[in-house]
Amino acid sequence: MQDRLLLLGYAVAVIAVTAVHNPWWLTGGLLVAAAVAGRRAPAIGWRALGAVLYFNLVISVGYAARALFGQTVSIDYLILVNVRVYLLIFLTFTLAVRVDVLRALNFSQGLTYLATLALSQIITFRRLFEDLRLAAESRRLRRLGLRESYLQSAAAAVHLFDRAEHDAREIALAMRARGFFRPDAGDDARGH
Amino acid sequence: MHVPDGFLSPQTYLPAYAIAAGGWAWATRVLQRRLDETLLPRLAVLTALGFVLMSVMLPLPGGTSVHASGIGILAVVFGPWITFAAVSLVLLLQALVFGAGGITVLPVNALAMGLAGSAAACLAYRLLHPIDERAGLFAAGWLATVVPALLIALVLGIQPAIAHTADGQPLFFPFGLSVTLPALVVPHVVLGVGEGLLTILVVRFLRRR
Repeated sequence: MQDRLLLLGYAVAVIAVTAVHNPWWLTGGLLVAAAVAGRRAPAIGWRALGAVLYFNLVISVGYAARALFGQTVSIDYLILVNVRVYLLIFLTFTLAVRVDVLRALNFSQGLTYLATLALSQIITFRRLFEDLRLAAESRRLRRLGLRESYLQSAAAAVHLFDRAEHDAREIALAMRARGFFRPDAGDDARGH
Repeated sequence: MHVPDGFLSPQTYLPAYAIAAGGWAWATRVLQRRLDETLLPRLAVLTALGFVLMSVMLPLPGGTSVHASGIGILAVVFGPWITFAAVSLVLLLQALVFGAGGITVLPVNALAMGLAGSAAACLAYRLLHPIDERAGLFAAGWLATVVPALLIALVLGIQPAIAHTADGQPLFFPFGLSVTLPALVVPHVVLGVGEGLLTILVVRFLRRR
């Protein structure tokens, strides 16, 4: 329940942050978000800074450069957009740390199963992809040419497709074996 | 190509959610028709596949590389609606679990990349593959990159016009279409060539099996 409330709070906060155009209010929101993040606030703060730095720097410098061409540049806008983007990323990272998303999504059984399965598969596929990358890295003595690089990327993608097909079949069989697809299986088969 | 959080106005992302909700409802119907009881595991695995395909490197001349999107490949193999559902789930999980992307930009990214990109890819493939299989696959990969970039450039470029202060200062993304269109579309026209080549290789490898 707490996770669901936090997820709802996050959604409301995000809409509010995009509806408020006063940097002071947004700074106040940042302090509240830091309080919600608790002891993790400094770590989240640094991570959020790293995430927004490049894009915001490009946008801010590009916007400020308009002054060189005689266009009006507003310092208020630069403060507003940077505080807003930073606050939104801070909120998202806080959510990722503080909320068990699977528990928060349990208002819909289908969505919970889907998210659980997808997340477990993402972890498996990422590990597999990293293994493939490391294997390719360890076997090459020189930088690959463009054609070889494409063939290597394509081979990795094909392997992922194969694995996806295999895993989908395995998971479906495992779910069927547990009575998941029977209409009368009820909540018992679903582990409730 | 993702739009970052904080640069889209509520006037943009709220209607985008309404449109995307219709798309998600339709995609669910299509999935239920096509995928019987294996719907859940298949969609979950496809979501994971979409997530990881976005990690596959797209080699560029000069030894550098960028991440592929994999949308063209998914669209040719599974069709636009399944791709839309899988890409939307990828974006949702990226936002909520991995803290990447964001919840305000999710519908725009999902519609641009997952629906428009994959629909353009499928259409190009269907039109061209009877004439030349390779041309169809290349066009699918290229359009799956360029069409979302074009749409995202349009959405970003209209922000100063639809959300600004009384004295005309922007409140969200500051640059108009004259900046966003060339800045986003031109690089993706080039990147699309790589995506097109990768689509040819992957789909032809898959067909040979």
